[in-house]
Amino acid sequence: MFQTINVAKGVNVHVNKTTQFKTINFSIRFKDKLTKEKASARSILANMLQHSNEVYPSHTALRMVLDDLYGTSLYMDSTKRGNEHIVTLNVETVNDEYLSETGVLEKVMNLMYIVLFKPNFEDGLFKQSIFEREKSAIKERIESVFDEKTRYAQQRMLEHALPDHPASISPNGTIDDVESVTNELLVAEYRTMIEENEIEIYAVGDIEPETVASYIREFFHFGDREKSIAAPPLELKKPEEPHVREFEVMKQGKLHLAFYTPITFKDEKFPIMQLMNGVLGGYAHSKLFVNIREKESMAYYVSSSYASQFGLLFVLAGIDANLEEKAVKLILEQLEEVKKGNITDTELDQTKALLTNQLKEALDSARGQIEIYDQYMELSDSFEPDDLIIRWKNVTKEDIAAVARDISLEMTYFLSGKEEDSNE
Amino acid sequence: MNKVQFEQLDETLYHEKLENGLEVYILPKKGFSKTYATFTTKYGSIDNNFVPLGETEPIKVPDGIAHFLEHKMFEKEEGDIFQQFSKQGASANAFTSFTRTAYLFSATGMIKENVETLLDFVQEPYFTEKTVEKEKGIIAQEITMYDDQPDWRLYFGIIENLYKNHPVKIDIAGTVESIQDITAEHLYTCYHTFYHPSNMMLFIVGAVEPESMMAFVRENQMKKTFEKPENIQRIFPDEPVEAAIKERTLEMSVQKPKVFVGIKPEAVNLSGPEMLKHELAAQLAFELLFGRTSDFYHHTYESGLIDESYSFDYSLENGFGYALIGSDTQKPEQLAEEIQNTIERAIEMWPFGQTDLDRVRRKKIGFFLRALNSLEYIANQFTRYAFNEMNLFDVVPTLEALSVEDLQAAFYTVSRESQRSVFTIVPPKKDSE
Repeated sequence: MFQTINVAKGVNVHVNKTTQFKTINFSIRFKDKLTKEKASARSILANMLQHSNEVYPSHTALRMVLDDLYGTSLYMDSTKRGNEHIVTLNVETVNDEYLSETGVLEKVMNLMYIVLFKPNFEDGLFKQSIFEREKSAIKERIESVFDEKTRYAQQRMLEHALPDHPASISPNGTIDDVESVTNELLVAEYRTMIEENEIEIYAVGDIEPETVASYIREFFHFGDREKSIAAPPLELKKPEEPHVREFEVMKQGKLHLAFYTPITFKDEKFPIMQLMNGVLGGYAHSKLFVNIREKESMAYYVSSSYASQFGLLFVLAGIDANLEEKAVKLILEQLEEVKKGNITDTELDQTKALLTNQLKEALDSARGQIEIYDQYMELSDSFEPDDLIIRWKNVTKEDIAAVARDISLEMTYFLSGKEEDSNE
Repeated sequence: MNKVQFEQLDETLYHEKLENGLEVYILPKKGFSKTYATFTTKYGSIDNNFVPLGETEPIKVPDGIAHFLEHKMFEKEEGDIFQQFSKQGASANAFTSFTRTAYLFSATGMIKENVETLLDFVQEPYFTEKTVEKEKGIIAQEITMYDDQPDWRLYFGIIENLYKNHPVKIDIAGTVESIQDITAEHLYTCYHTFYHPSNMMLFIVGAVEPESMMAFVRENQMKKTFEKPENIQRIFPDEPVEAAIKERTLEMSVQKPKVFVGIKPEAVNLSGPEMLKHELAAQLAFELLFGRTSDFYHHTYESGLIDESYSFDYSLENGFGYALIGSDTQKPEQLAEEIQNTIERAIEMWPFGQTDLDRVRRKKIGFFLRALNSLEYIANQFTRYAFNEMNLFDVVPTLEALSVEDLQAAFYTVSRESQRSVFTIVPPKKDSE
């Protein structure tokens, strides 16, 4: 799928030349280690670079240029994976074959160069007013999680279960850490990102691999950098308080359970855990959906998800605030069924079919190709989707039951309306 | 079968209207392994007052019934239809909007089997009092979930403000109370009236061979019998152009206030090319006034009056529509005023010329071409456009033909003070905690 060209030590260009899409997608990823301080600074940095630069010194000027380039989409984001923090420049531009104009692609590549290498500096620092504004933008983003109660409950649960662990660190950092970032510190962080971070550059579309690589070599001048030392496995400590209830002004009860599993992404048994998650609660045919939603009519959403980087399994349900105990009991009963190997052939086949479908579908979008490739590259240099599909195919019920038996419930978190209101 | 080629876009669309009235569209996409299909009825939450098929007197049905019906279509005597799709490796889903109910799947194999399942499950209703009762608990939780989402409440709050009588002001899922009145008989009445093939559209896009797929669909439909199609009589109340409520505030558990300024469009009786032109022209006008390159955006973002949650939108259907502009903000009153002042100033003196138009037009064309990578976008938008007698693939030529005057004219129909309203969500007052 992707052809890889090494342009400097620690800097790789991966290109998938294809005519499947009407656009060309670029993704330039800067990888660093994940800490609250790094996440906070790098989130501000991502916003600064997408706001403006030396050539286009205002947000308006930069956005006008993008509009003129047929609404080329350009944004930076700040995400995490395992114990890595990733700042990404994402660009998508229309293949000029569909336009009455040519030369758009070169202009877009030049713009990517400007965004990364010509920051909006004034006397060696970021322009102070923009720095202040983007600092508050990140604080506002962190605060806004509170408004979406499912996201908020998930975050609170992780903070209680695994404080200061990469699983609970937000890719945007914390309000306090954002607050303490100075302009000088941000400039230093910028230099680190450009000069020291490992970089993966992706391009998907009707474009030659060598065109991208030579452009990067010629203009971006990324120097050699050390490959960051493989991080030690992330340990999951037991939560201090395994059962937490919190209250906000709200109607629904949000139940969030965290289970630990020794199987992570890099484990041989990872594909088995994916199937175990699917049988338990990944889909509309799964045990949780069928029994808790369809049979009991207790929930609109009830599902499980597997955070394979950390070895965490979550179960989420939106329920009546008075039904926490009953819901926990029913969820654990379903997990118990999986542990006992009470899985039908149909459940197993359905789950394999949907996992396979999901992977193939994801590969039908340029972003999906980049995400999947970037993740599986960790496992092997020559990732083939079919290998994974074959591994799913060979999994048996007993394999699934065996991995389920190593899963332990470590945290029950429940967010609901005030106690006095919950008896309505 | 008709074949329409869009050369500049490098797409070919196949179409046939079947004998029973069903419109079928097939769009093969090169290089894709996925197929996405939607089976949509022109029936949504606003269709709550109508003459049932074969009857003469209009009836009113409980709020939330179209959405309830959508849920219940998935349950059959032999079990849940999700199970069938899963066996065939397909992810299935459905949604109900103001004007449409869509059933859909996406899959990378067994496409004919999945198309058959899609057609058959939507065309074989099975409702009993028992299964209807059972669903009430699930939908009540769905409604409760939305009740806790401030962005949803903000959206519905402003629509309720704008509309006095039109059923668009009713929440799509209804309320926990209103759904209690729904019976299996109601569901059958609505089903027979609105799920006739002549009121529906099938759209299949992706890794599909058009000739054999069309034959397959045709054959499936020939095996079934349907009543003679009738024109569906839908009854809508009169609706003034003015906003019903000028201003309203709701307290919710949020970290900072949220505000929407809503504007009720005048031009709600359009369809076809005229509607397409108006909608695109108005969208470009709002892009110029409130988009990322506008003076308004620059000024309000840099001064901290809006944040990353800022959004604006202009959307039109037959009978209703809205322009919405808003953001999370510590100063909702000041932001609402700035938005209204921006509109007032544009009425007094239209500030945009040809260069501005050219720029936002390019942006919109680029957006459209990017969207054509998404099978979901193509199927859902094509259907929405077709139900309003517009053609999705006319977007680029229509955009290319727009003039500055078109933008101005469209904007003036959405600009009067009396058409506007403000809805605000604020955190609970400290002493009530």
